[in-house]
Amino acid sequence: MPLDIVVCVKWVPNTQIVNIDPRTGTLIREGVPSIINPHDLNAVEFGLTLKDSYGGRLTAIAMSPPSAKAGLEFLIGMGVDRAILITDRVFAGADTLATSYVLAKAIERLMPTDLIIFGQETIDSSTAHICAQTASWLKLPYIYYVIDARLEDGKKNIVVKRVLERKIEVFELPLPCLMAIAMKSNVPRPVTLSNKIKAKMENLIEVWNNEMLKLNINCVGLKGSPTVVSKSIPTPVVPRKKLKFEGTDPIEAARWLLDRLAEEGVRVI
Amino acid sequence: MTQQTATKQRIKRIRLEDALNANVWDVDAKPHIIVDSEKCVGCTNSACTYLCPGGCFTLLAGKLLYSYEGCLECGTCRVVCPKDAVTWNYPLSGRGVQYRFG
Amino acid sequence: MDPPSATKFDVAIVGAGPAGASAAYTLARKGFKVVVLERGRTPGSKNLFGGRVYSHPLELIFEGFKNEAPIERWTKREVLSFVTEEGIVSVEYASGSSTSFTAYLSKLSAWMASKAESAGAILVTDVRVDDILMENGKAVGIVSGGDRLYADVVVIAEGVNRLLCERRNITPQLSPEEVALGVKHVIRLGTDKINDRFGLDSNEGLAWFLIGKVTDYLPGGAFLYTNSTTVSLGIVVFLSHAMKKVKRHIYEVLEDLRTSPPFTRLLEGGSLVEYGSHLTPEAGLKMMPKKLYGDGFLIVGDAAGLLINLGYTVRGVDLAAFSGYLAAEAIEEAHSLGSYTSHNLSCYERKLNDSFVMKEMKRHDSVQKLMSKSHIFELYPQVLVGTTKRLFEFEEASPKLLEAAKESLKGKGSKFKMLLDAITLMRGP
Repeated sequence: MPLDIVVCVKWVPNTQIVNIDPRTGTLIREGVPSIINPHDLNAVEFGLTLKDSYGGRLTAIAMSPPSAKAGLEFLIGMGVDRAILITDRVFAGADTLATSYVLAKAIERLMPTDLIIFGQETIDSSTAHICAQTASWLKLPYIYYVIDARLEDGKKNIVVKRVLERKIEVFELPLPCLMAIAMKSNVPRPVTLSNKIKAKMENLIEVWNNEMLKLNINCVGLKGSPTVVSKSIPTPVVPRKKLKFEGTDPIEAARWLLDRLAEEGVRVI
Repeated sequence: MTQQTATKQRIKRIRLEDALNANVWDVDAKPHIIVDSEKCVGCTNSACTYLCPGGCFTLLAGKLLYSYEGCLECGTCRVVCPKDAVTWNYPLSGRGVQYRFG
Repeated sequence: MDPPSATKFDVAIVGAGPAGASAAYTLARKGFKVVVLERGRTPGSKNLFGGRVYSHPLELIFEGFKNEAPIERWTKREVLSFVTEEGIVSVEYASGSSTSFTAYLSKLSAWMASKAESAGAILVTDVRVDDILMENGKAVGIVSGGDRLYADVVVIAEGVNRLLCERRNITPQLSPEEVALGVKHVIRLGTDKINDRFGLDSNEGLAWFLIGKVTDYLPGGAFLYTNSTTVSLGIVVFLSHAMKKVKRHIYEVLEDLRTSPPFTRLLEGGSLVEYGSHLTPEAGLKMMPKKLYGDGFLIVGDAAGLLINLGYTVRGVDLAAFSGYLAAEAIEEAHSLGSYTSHNLSCYERKLNDSFVMKEMKRHDSVQKLMSKSHIFELYPQVLVGTTKRLFEFEEASPKLLEAAKESLKGKGSKFKMLLDAITLMRGP
């Protein structure tokens, strides 16, 4: 039973490894290229695996500046069939509410679809809101931390496994539904030459703007974003104590270490 | 001597890890360097441990440990290995070090 | 991949560095259907060099080069320094005119590739080429993972690590004698500090070479190039010598340089924005493949071993780019002859031989050989610094030049050898 799947991705600055200026202690951002949010690649891989099993089509959506086209080409390189770049100045400065609103409206245009998937969260904001908020706009069920999914009863229901800290839960959801895929739950497949050539030679990326979506500009972008960042507090720097155990006996060393930890308020059970 | 100390304080040494952290990376989940450490037994040169600019190779209790995350993709390990122990290829999908200046 | 006619190309180019991009640009402008396969996410993201480019050949290849290319500064000051524990002796040349500029290779390669794209070449990034596709001894395309791509002719611009050439036995496995290792810091200082500390106007650049203690007296040297707001500081060591004599991690050699005079003062307040490394071809004609062409393929750039290290300057990007340009011309000529046989493509070698590329490679081959000898990097700095020290640091009797030179040469080996080296450096063997 072929599945029509939509995957939502974000184009983010590559802050996967935080580059701190060793001298000033500030973040180095100069010339930092953007990438597809790495946790979204797990969602793309998840979608491609479902497509491998059941057939169908995987469409990627990104609400981003035009430079995200390179990222969408990368996804087509992985095997995504079609990509939609939602880009318009009026969408800029959006918080999660305004972003999910635009995504929901775009997804409505893509209906009927069976499954809408997301990465668990983004590396540049880590809110993990978007899947839930988009589901609320669409009035569809959703589930987070998914590691596996298989179809039951032909195409009516999908059985998913999700991972919590200490257990794996199994749920059955009706289609269509939304799911956020657990980060690092799979290894995204490499880009292939044939897919990348397809991305270059065929017109697989559509660009949508607000002339097309016709959304109320008070509900999108900065205007549609109630979130206010009042203050940001940098992580306090704790200077290292640089204590050194001078003995040679390992048991004594362990005891010494536990004593020092106890002095710092660490309780050993 | 005092003059020397004064000039020394002008610029601090940067640790290799911090220098590598100045770079942009998109590290692959799969290693692109494979070392057959069986072949390393008896190697007296161990050039990889001091000539790999990323510091990917270290000796610990006579055994070679290696990583690929800080690989600068120069290929030195491949060329200097006298035992042909290094299987080295470029990372897939554009992953690895992302030079912005070069 | 099935080869439908839509994805069959005239030319497939492996690598979007200076050589590959120059070939792609030239071929696309001649109307060839070209695809460039680049393993990096963007062209240039896997490229690294010292910091200086000789401009003229690039101006011949790229229309509007001087106005559009990402040039940092035009080199107006050249300094060559000999460094020992005792001190530094420098020779400086300053001029109002300039034939070279400083640049970031990542940005320069990206610019060249963008020119190739606007000329009509198809640029495919994120794709690693794993093999040359051969049929009956003729290159007919490339292999990447499980995919094949067919092309009438393949241009191998894969860089100094010739993984494809080695896999196809076109070249033997790279040996430490053939390459040098370069490691480099890019340090942000800001325009004002650079101009003040290096005595430059805003558009003026400095190219500085140092030999001697900077590499622990190993063949190679250190370099500093000024960009608009950063400096590139690095060292280059010949790998075969480094394997025998380096006693500590190569990164520490670079850090020693950065944290010792005169750099402590010159780079104070700078912040590191990138640390990288790359191999460079160093064996002159010896590292070049026996033939730079075969049935259906050509080899260009670093993969062809095209780099000249003269001790006081290095040129590689212009040679690479021009070899790519000549490869494009050769492909056009072979096309007009009706096929890309080894015989028809052999005009590439003739074009290279007739051009400045091979003339320079041959002319400087003896100097390159000399550059790999260790005594140059130990004896010269010691004699020069020793002589100069004796000339200027005296207590009562001021020495004559010859006396100072004799004194500093004591126990330093054959004067005759030095004389021979000097002759080689000046006019070749």
